[in-house]
Amino acid sequence: MTDSVIRARRTSEPQAKGDRSPRGAGRRRRRLHASGLPWILPALVLGIGLIYYCIGYTGYISLLNWDGLSPEPEWVALHNYLRIFQDPVFWKAVWHTAVFFVVTFGLQTLLGLVFAVMMHSKIKLGVLYKVIVFVPVVLAPAIMAPVFRQLFAANGQFNWLLEHIGLGFLAQPWIGQESTALPVIMVITIWQWTGLTFVLYFAAMSQIDQSMIEAARIDGAGNIRTLVSIIWPSVRGTTVALAILSAIGALKTFDVPWLVTIAGPNNATQFLGTYIYQTTIQLAHAGYGAALSVILLIVALVMAIVFQTAGRERNAEKNPVERGTN
Amino acid sequence: MFEVRRWWGKALLQLAATVFVLPFLFPLIVMVQGSFAGAGWGNYSAVLGVPGFFQFFLNSAIIALGVIVLVYVVTMLASYGFAKLHIRAREVYFWMLLVCLTLPEVVLLTPLFATTQQLGLYNTYLSVILPLAALQVPFAVLLTRNFINGLPDEMFEAARVDGANSFRGFLYLVIPLTRPIAAAVLIFTLIGAWNDYLMPLVFLQSQSMQTITLVPQFFVGEFSNDQTKVLASAVLTAIPEIVAYLCLQGLFERGLSAGAIK
Repeated sequence: MTDSVIRARRTSEPQAKGDRSPRGAGRRRRRLHASGLPWILPALVLGIGLIYYCIGYTGYISLLNWDGLSPEPEWVALHNYLRIFQDPVFWKAVWHTAVFFVVTFGLQTLLGLVFAVMMHSKIKLGVLYKVIVFVPVVLAPAIMAPVFRQLFAANGQFNWLLEHIGLGFLAQPWIGQESTALPVIMVITIWQWTGLTFVLYFAAMSQIDQSMIEAARIDGAGNIRTLVSIIWPSVRGTTVALAILSAIGALKTFDVPWLVTIAGPNNATQFLGTYIYQTTIQLAHAGYGAALSVILLIVALVMAIVFQTAGRERNAEKNPVERGTN
Repeated sequence: MFEVRRWWGKALLQLAATVFVLPFLFPLIVMVQGSFAGAGWGNYSAVLGVPGFFQFFLNSAIIALGVIVLVYVVTMLASYGFAKLHIRAREVYFWMLLVCLTLPEVVLLTPLFATTQQLGLYNTYLSVILPLAALQVPFAVLLTRNFINGLPDEMFEAARVDGANSFRGFLYLVIPLTRPIAAAVLIFTLIGAWNDYLMPLVFLQSQSMQTITLVPQFFVGEFSNDQTKVLASAVLTAIPEIVAYLCLQGLFERGLSAGAIK
């Protein structure tokens, strides 16, 4: 791969060499002249080659009635898509995804922000606390799933804890009933990702000009006022980035609901990812699963466009200040 | 940030921080405590005694390494191309890559399953490494391109005036200067590849190929749902991740923030 890149470079060599003009004239050239296509080619082959191939293939399968194995699938055109819109489980999954995004993003932002402020306030044992909050980020959800299944079981440690702090009347089979299964999934997700939110906010806060905070203090702003009026607006860029990560994460949710509650009970923790998996692999309705995948892709795409416009506004707002750490 | 002068204010803040941390610690305590229930250390020796237990770690390491190398090479080349070289319709290509950023891996299952079967790649490391790398590349390119965009063009022109072609510019400027962002890419890719569950679940059928994320499931079968041993296996698989994090902690935080601040 590298060889061909070097060769491609050589062909454009004379152009580059001939550029030893004296300073001044035409020096304001934004980019080097050699073509960059060979450089991005490996990424395009891997990304577009593999992923777009799969998307195209999925689009084709979505028009079939196919179990994923039989050599002669039946062509059903758009029938799978028509079925989706009358499928109550699909709408349940969409609703769960939306609720899941709003709740996890909101709580993670709040917790991460507050914890980052605390860690910037000369706390003893701060290093240890930071490690404890961040460790869940690196642990695989698949590995933690059995722990949480036990933790939230009817005779699990969470109920035990409730009883010992005098809240025994709240004890219930958390993952076994429809009303609490989804909140449990959200709690696990928040437990897992708050560390990342915290680290990003912590870094963003180190960038805030200290004199601004001091000025606010001299003007009589208290701790809460400083947090709301100075710190929160200063880390807006991080908040937007985290919103994007959370939204993508919500659409991709699979491991936790699948391993902790198997998308149940009665679809109470069904997400698009788990539903596609169930339909395709377990029920062997590859055609229908593919149609669901295409819909999921369209949702993701629409979101990407929304983010891109939001991101543009952000960049336009605060470009020159952003750089200069490294 | 918070300013507290009185002793009780300090104590209150310390208490608040401690109370905040406890729920994060709780599941970890439950995991360790549960793994010692019943047979105590016996749970661990039972888990370690299962033939091929080490193989899970080896498989995870091979897959993570493969994904990291592939993502790093592809990302550095592409980000440099996107940021500093002339490409016709550059933004079109960039957008085509960015679209993949939002792609949930479950979408790839059926086509990849059919394709790997046909190519004879099913149940090989490659059948997991390639899609995982493909899914990581868009985010890595996004981070790295932004970072390289911030490097001054004058530097690259100066290198060219001194007779360096783009490849030497890449080798002697881009590679050393992008270390902070490369750390971020490395970390995101490592977490993503090491912790992935779905791809190994579908594409690695024989036990000798499977990764650590499939360990709990394997032990549920092996010990007919003896929770203590399942938890012991969870602790054993979590330890390398925690150790890796503690060793890379500085790099972790610097890398994450280098990516975030842009």
